[in-house]
Amino acid sequence: MPNDKKSQKIVDIIQNAARKHSLFVLAYGTGCGAIEIPPTMTSRYDAERFGIRGMATPRQADVLLVTGYLATKTLKRVIRAYEQMQDPKYVIGFGSCTINGGMYWDSYNTIKLLDKYIPVDVYINGCMPRPEAVIEGFIELQGLIKDGKANGATKYKENIDWYRANQKKVIKNWNMPDYNW
Amino acid sequence: MTEDKHIKEQKIVDQLSGTFQNLTGKVKRERRVEVSVEKKLIPSVLSYVKDQLTFTHMSHMSCVDWLEDEHFELVYILWSPELKVQLLVKTLINRENPVIENVDMIWGQLNTYQREIREMYGIQFTGLVGREEFVLEDWDEMPPMRRDFDTAEYIKDVFFERPGRDGAKDVREVIATRSGEEIPELAKKYSRD
Repeated sequence: MPNDKKSQKIVDIIQNAARKHSLFVLAYGTGCGAIEIPPTMTSRYDAERFGIRGMATPRQADVLLVTGYLATKTLKRVIRAYEQMQDPKYVIGFGSCTINGGMYWDSYNTIKLLDKYIPVDVYINGCMPRPEAVIEGFIELQGLIKDGKANGATKYKENIDWYRANQKKVIKNWNMPDYNW
Repeated sequence: MTEDKHIKEQKIVDQLSGTFQNLTGKVKRERRVEVSVEKKLIPSVLSYVKDQLTFTHMSHMSCVDWLEDEHFELVYILWSPELKVQLLVKTLINRENPVIENVDMIWGQLNTYQREIREMYGIQFTGLVGREEFVLEDWDEMPPMRRDFDTAEYIKDVFFERPGRDGAKDVREVIATRSGEEIPELAKKYSRD
């Protein structure tokens, strides 16, 4: 294959089109939003027609759904799951808790802005968003992937120091492995 | 009249105040009895009501922070399936040096409640076995459920805040102007500047 810009562009278009139609979601539910996932996946709303389906482990998944408030304790696990995921990887923030803290805005133990800790590609607002809104958010993400704009993972790698500083501000006892992706 | 109505409740109070010194008890209402004891009497009172007065079920244990009076109040909530009476055993502990005896040998589930209170209020239970960390992780501030813990200050220091929209309006003011009403004085302090 000739390694010039033009053919790389064609490869990217084909790659992105393929990625867009097979989004494997990590089956990791935090907060109350996890309860909206079963109706989204099952027969009534049937998200699998968009190529969205659950996957058991972080290493096999493409999309991390953060489905609600994150306690600082849970944030540690979410970061660990996110760092284990292989490229390409995307994050969807779910509900108002991930956007601005939601009803936990004055809690001493939940984070307020998810995008300060891990890069978020798409936010879905609502408390909680209904399955229609969830599918809408996934279609938004598919559009971003198709245009090659869903580059949260690259952003994370480039600004890892900034993200780490924010993460260590709330996770005081940092004893996590370093992944050499 | 009330005393005729609450015979079994009054009997529990009489029996307890006859057995223990410095115990004040009263019947709150039907099927609700409340007694206050000194903190050194807690193990003996709890074993007594469990073995002699059939309060076999330990429903809950909670703590109240009386910041102004400078003490904590521990409340043991018990239920008797035979008498159908709820008993609240209350005790006061000094806020400066909050130590009380561990009583999880009487009811096993007290271990969990006491560990939670230890973490959330910083009350030490002598002889309590279990990890120091219960729900919180790496917490090095003041125990968060104490009333002098300033949550607003803490979240301002530790977490980020998303700035609101430009030109966001105060909901209360918008509604008041639309319907031609005046905002009462007591609600004004909650308004946006």
